[in-house]
Amino acid sequence: MFEIKNLNASIQDKQILKDFNLKVNPGEVHAIMGPNGSGKSTLAHVCAGREEYEISSGSVRLDGVNLLDLEPEERAVRGLFLAFQYPVEIPGVASMTFLKSALSAHYKFNGKKELTIPEFMKLIKEKSNSLNISDDMIKRPLNVGFSGGEKKRNEVLQMTLLEPKICILDETDSGLDIDALRLVANGVNLLRSKERSFVVITHYQRLLDYIEPDFVHIMADGKIIETGDKNLALDLEKTGYNDYIEKDI
Amino acid sequence: MTVKPSNKTSQIDQEILKLCNDKIDSFLDYNDDISVIKREAFKRYSKKGLPNRFEESWKYTNIHKKLQNIPVSDKNYPIPLNVDNFINSFDIMSKIKSDNDTLIVFMDGKFIPELSMLEYSKNGMEINFLSHGDVPRWAIELMINKHNVNEDPLFDLNTILMQEGVLINVSANVKIDSNVYIIHIGNNDGFFNYRHVINVGKDSHINVTELKVSNRVNDALYTSSVLWNVEDNAIVNNVKYQAHNQSTVGFNQQYADVGSGSIFNSFTISSGSKLLRESRNISCNGENSEVSISGVNLLDGESHIDTTLVVTHKAPNSLSKEKYKSILSDRSRSVFQGNIVVDQIAQKTIAKQSIDALILSNDAEHDSKPELEIYADDVQCGHGATTGQLSADSLFYLRARGIGEDEARRLLVHAFISDVMEEIQDTNLRNVLRDVMNNMLNRVSKGRLNV
Repeated sequence: MFEIKNLNASIQDKQILKDFNLKVNPGEVHAIMGPNGSGKSTLAHVCAGREEYEISSGSVRLDGVNLLDLEPEERAVRGLFLAFQYPVEIPGVASMTFLKSALSAHYKFNGKKELTIPEFMKLIKEKSNSLNISDDMIKRPLNVGFSGGEKKRNEVLQMTLLEPKICILDETDSGLDIDALRLVANGVNLLRSKERSFVVITHYQRLLDYIEPDFVHIMADGKIIETGDKNLALDLEKTGYNDYIEKDI
Repeated sequence: MTVKPSNKTSQIDQEILKLCNDKIDSFLDYNDDISVIKREAFKRYSKKGLPNRFEESWKYTNIHKKLQNIPVSDKNYPIPLNVDNFINSFDIMSKIKSDNDTLIVFMDGKFIPELSMLEYSKNGMEINFLSHGDVPRWAIELMINKHNVNEDPLFDLNTILMQEGVLINVSANVKIDSNVYIIHIGNNDGFFNYRHVINVGKDSHINVTELKVSNRVNDALYTSSVLWNVEDNAIVNNVKYQAHNQSTVGFNQQYADVGSGSIFNSFTISSGSKLLRESRNISCNGENSEVSISGVNLLDGESHIDTTLVVTHKAPNSLSKEKYKSILSDRSRSVFQGNIVVDQIAQKTIAKQSIDALILSNDAEHDSKPELEIYADDVQCGHGATTGQLSADSLFYLRARGIGEDEARRLLVHAFISDVMEEIQDTNLRNVLRDVMNNMLNRVSKGRLNV
């Protein structure tokens, strides 16, 4: 179970998250929607362990362990996965090397025997086929020269390989055309299971046509101000965020 | 010939001037070309002494602070036993050397025949030594030419004190597939001075790999100058690897004149060193000549590596490319001064320079000074310089996938130099040097280099 309690976080003395609370049971998909500046991306980065934020109080627990006490890499191997809104391009680091290092770290933590190179190659090939990721893409340096859609598919590939317990998707739909969006959403849907849960951060209802959420939360000014089912997202599409921003002020 | 040292000069200035004074005495009575240029060099040098920071090209490097005395030998370590032992003791050599390569080994300023493998006149390649007396006419002429136009006191110092070096002449139309290794080993403390001269004939091809290594931790000071003359339509691939300890001070100079249609590639890896000055003066003398000067500097401790390049385009349609990457840790300092000169006649020149530095500690410093002097109006010249730390975004991205901080830093430090290594033309050599670099970088990314 993934549970965020009374989380307060700020950057450069500006408080972004204000007593934020969220509880995600295994297998559930939660969507968080909200206007620009409501703190959605901050929430994602604080959970993953970005150092720039100051956390004054609260906890982020995954199966009882407070992730806030751990380094980013420890959070990852314990099962938290952040799909980045802007995956970083790293020239000089081969995609394969990166995937192998990431996978090895997970296997090591879980006490699993490390894959041999042929086993690893087979696994990559199998997983990348289902996401329509070409050999050529995998052979390039990490995310370098990838289109927006390719970067996001690469994020889903990593998610597929690392088999996390909780996936936070930070505006995964931004910059995607409808075909790329469908491909990414299919990848995510394939990963849905009774044990795995998702927090899907998005501006638009569109993504939720493809990844159907169990709960929709509206976030404004650093906290969740309304919770409903997928119909809440449909309503929002009609009315926009203005009501919520005004209500909040 | 006596020149009285002025009281204003530094200790090292006085010691070196006195040494030159003593050395030059034995050349006073001779009128052969080498004795004459030595005397002229002394005349010029004694007026100036070692360069100081008031001179623009020495603004960032203070010899007098880094070097107080001429190191003297108080022990005398024997030379290593035999060729096989020697090769095995140098990991790189054992991996790259093949049977028909030429191996020319110098130790503490002397040529060591026991450790060398030479085939004289192999495939039209003639090898002589500076110390052997009759220096061939072609080598003397190249030395005189450089001497006549030289303005660098360290080149004069090298001329005065040069005691040993190899003189390689490749005839026209000779393609040497094997590698020529010029190896300098520091085995004892002391002050050593090398002068190598290499002439590459028309339509010829040669690969020269220079290795400079310290056999043990020693206080060595050396000057070394390599004079290249590359005639038309020739190809030179030159790779230099120098791994010095923290007490070695070296002044390297490379001069190259590159003829029409010729390609001159030179790649350098430098690491460690108390002080290392890499001066390079490369001229595209002929039309359609191509020059690539690139390298990697790895600095730690109190290392100071200064790379000062002048590339001059003297003919139309020539191309030059400079690409350097430096990685600095601890309190080290690197300096890059790159001057591109395009003469009025050299229309359609393409010249590119890119200098990047990655700083891994709070106390390291990198100074970068690109200069362009362009007298032609139809050229493409560009330069770019970056200095920075590892990207926090990249580091976080890797860590967010479970990759530990040390490993993430290691991957990113490797990534930083990955593209420049491609400049090494020989794939085998490139792979071996990549491995060597990987080992060094694994230490560097954790903040330790300890070469």
